[in-house]
Amino acid sequence: MADAPTWADDARSAATAALDALPALTGAEEQWRFTPPADLDMNGDTPAGVAAGTGTVALPAASGRAARLAFADGTPDPAEILDLPDGVIVSELGAALETHEALVRDRLYSLAGFDDRPGALNGAGWDAGTFVFVPRGVEVTLPIETILTATGATGRVFGRTLVIVEEGAKATVIDRYLSPDLDGVVQASTVVELFVADGGELEHVSYIGWGRGVRHQATIRAAAGKDARVRSVNVTLGGDVVRVEPTVYCRGTGADARALGLYFATGDQHFEHRVVSRHEAPQTYSNLLYKGAIQDTAHTVFFGNLVVPPGAPGTDAYQTNRNLILNEGARADTIPFLEIETAEVKCSHAGAVGRVDDEHLFYLMSRGVPEREAKHLIVYGFFQEVLDEISFDALREELEAAARAKVR
Amino acid sequence: MADPILKIEGLEVAVDNTPILKGVDLEVPQGEVHALMGPNGSGKSTLAYALAGHPRYEITGGSVMFGGQDLADMGADERAQAGLFLAMQYPVEVPGVSVMNFLRTAVNATRGEEVPVREFARLFKEKSDLLTFDPSFADRYLNEGFSGGEKKRHEILQMALLEPAFAILDETDSGLDVDALRIVAEGVNAQRGPDLGVLIITHYTRILNYIRPDVVHVMFDGRIARTGGPDLADHLEEKGYVEFGSAETAAAPR
Repeated sequence: MADAPTWADDARSAATAALDALPALTGAEEQWRFTPPADLDMNGDTPAGVAAGTGTVALPAASGRAARLAFADGTPDPAEILDLPDGVIVSELGAALETHEALVRDRLYSLAGFDDRPGALNGAGWDAGTFVFVPRGVEVTLPIETILTATGATGRVFGRTLVIVEEGAKATVIDRYLSPDLDGVVQASTVVELFVADGGELEHVSYIGWGRGVRHQATIRAAAGKDARVRSVNVTLGGDVVRVEPTVYCRGTGADARALGLYFATGDQHFEHRVVSRHEAPQTYSNLLYKGAIQDTAHTVFFGNLVVPPGAPGTDAYQTNRNLILNEGARADTIPFLEIETAEVKCSHAGAVGRVDDEHLFYLMSRGVPEREAKHLIVYGFFQEVLDEISFDALREELEAAARAKVR
Repeated sequence: MADPILKIEGLEVAVDNTPILKGVDLEVPQGEVHALMGPNGSGKSTLAYALAGHPRYEITGGSVMFGGQDLADMGADERAQAGLFLAMQYPVEVPGVSVMNFLRTAVNATRGEEVPVREFARLFKEKSDLLTFDPSFADRYLNEGFSGGEKKRHEILQMALLEPAFAILDETDSGLDVDALRIVAEGVNAQRGPDLGVLIITHYTRILNYIRPDVVHVMFDGRIARTGGPDLADHLEEKGYVEFGSAETAAAPR
C-alpha cells in the first residue's frame, strides 16, 4: 500500500479525517436501533492487531471459476486466472489504483464514500481489495470470485471490491467470507461497489460464511444504467454479529434490479439486513426478496426500503421479507418501508414473521422424519424460492449445501 | 388367525377439546384388509389422524396397540418408523421441497439407515413406474401444483417406497376418476400380502370394488356400529347409512 498514487493516498487521508470528524455512533440513531454500533466496533474502540486465535481455512477448489482472488487476513494469495476473455481485468485493487487508474479513480468511493462511519472506517483501512472490469459487450461465463479469510492472527479484516461492467457486458461476481471458529473477536468491514453500464448484466453474490467470533459490517452498492440488469444476492450464515447493507440504484430508464437474500441464524447469532432500492430514473423495476430462518436464541432484523424520488414515474417496485421462527426464544424483526414521492408508480411491500406450519411438520413427520430434520427440510424448501433465482447452477448447489451444512 | 397388527380398545379422541371418538373398538389382524365406512362426520378421519399422531388429535381415553407397542407414547415420526403409514385425504403442499429429496429423506428415516443413492434410484424408478409417474416428477416440489389424482397416486407411491406394516388409506378414492382409481388400487393390491395390514377409510363403496376388503366396519357417531364381511359394503351401497340414524340414504355416489 506504501506506493499508492497520490490521489489514492489523499482519499485515504480524507477517510481518516472523516472518521475523526463524524460523531461517534451511540446506538440511539434510528438506523442503529437494532445492532449496537459497538458490537461492530464502528467507533474504532478496539485496538487492531489483537490476535483472536489461530486457525486455517481450507479454500474450496477454484474449479468452475473464471478467476479467483483469495486474501488471508488481508494478504493476497497469487491470483488464479483460469479462463478470462480478452480485455477482462481481475486484479488486486491496491495494484489497480495505479495500473488501472483511468478506470478506477472516478468510480472508487463514488457509490460508497466517507459520509458515514462504516464507509469512512473502510475507506481508511481497507487492504484486501479486488478490482473487476468487464469491457463493452464481453460476456464472462463462469463466476469471478474473491475469498476473504480470517485466521484470527489479526483482529481486523478489511475488504473492498470494485466491479465495472461496461455497456452490454455480462458477468457473475462472488464475494465470499470464510473463517474457522475463533476464540476471540475479529472485526470485519467490507464495501462492495458495483457499476453496471447501459444494457449490462451483473449477478453479485455475497456469501458470509464466517465461523464463531467474527463481527462484520458489509456495505454493498450497485448502480444500474439504462436497461441494465443487476442481481444482488446475499447469503448470510456465519459470524456472531453481521450487518449487511445492500442498496441498488436504478439510474437509467429500464433498469432492472433484484435484491435477493437468505439468512439462517442459529445459536446466539445476530444478523441485520438493511436493503434499499432507489429509483432515480423513469420506468425502472426493482424486486427485493429476503427470506430468513431463525433458531435457538438468534435474532434477525430486516429493514427494507423502496425509495422513489420525484421524477421516476413508471416505477415498478416490490419488496418481500419472510421469516421462519423455528423455536421459542428465536426472534425476527421485519420493517418494510416505502418512500414514494412520484405519482404513477406500482409499489408493494410485505413483511412476515411466522412459525413452521404444523400441517407441513406433521406431513413430514408422518413419513418418519424426526421433528428437527423435518423443520430443516421445510427451511431449505422455504429458501428455495431465493436459491432458484441464482442463475449459475453449480453456485446454487454450493449455497444449498452451505445452508444444509450449517446445522449438521 | 394372525396376531392383530392394530388393536384399538375403547379409544376416545378429542379435537380442540371436542370429543369426536367415543369408545372405538377395532382389531385388524396382520395381512388383512379392512374397510372403515360411515357417513360424513362419523369420526373416520379423526381415527386416521389420531392413529398417525397428529398433535391436534388428543387421545383422551382407551388404548391403541400397534404391533405390540402403545401408540400413545409415540410421536408421529416414531409411529412411521415403527411401520405405520397414513395416506392422507388432503396431502399438504410443502413449497421448495423436491419430491426426490422428500422421498429419500423419508425412506432413510423409516429404515433408520442411509439407502445408497443407486439403490434408491432403482427403487424410485420401479415404484414410480407402477404408479405411472413421469421421471420429471422427482424434481417437482412436494404436492405443489399436483392434480387431485397426482396427489393421491403420490401418497400410494410413498406407501410403496416406505413398505409399512400397516397402511391407513383415508378417503384415497375421493376426487379420483375411474382410471386414477384403478392405478391407485393396483398400487395397493401390488403391496397386499401377509406382511401388510390395511384400513381403507371410505364413504363410498366404489374403491372396494377394486380392493376387496376382508372385513367391513361401519362407524357412526364416534363408535363402530357394525362389523361384517364384504357383503356389508354391498348392503350399504343399497341402503345407505339411514338404518344407523343418518339422513344419508345411499353410500354410493349418485
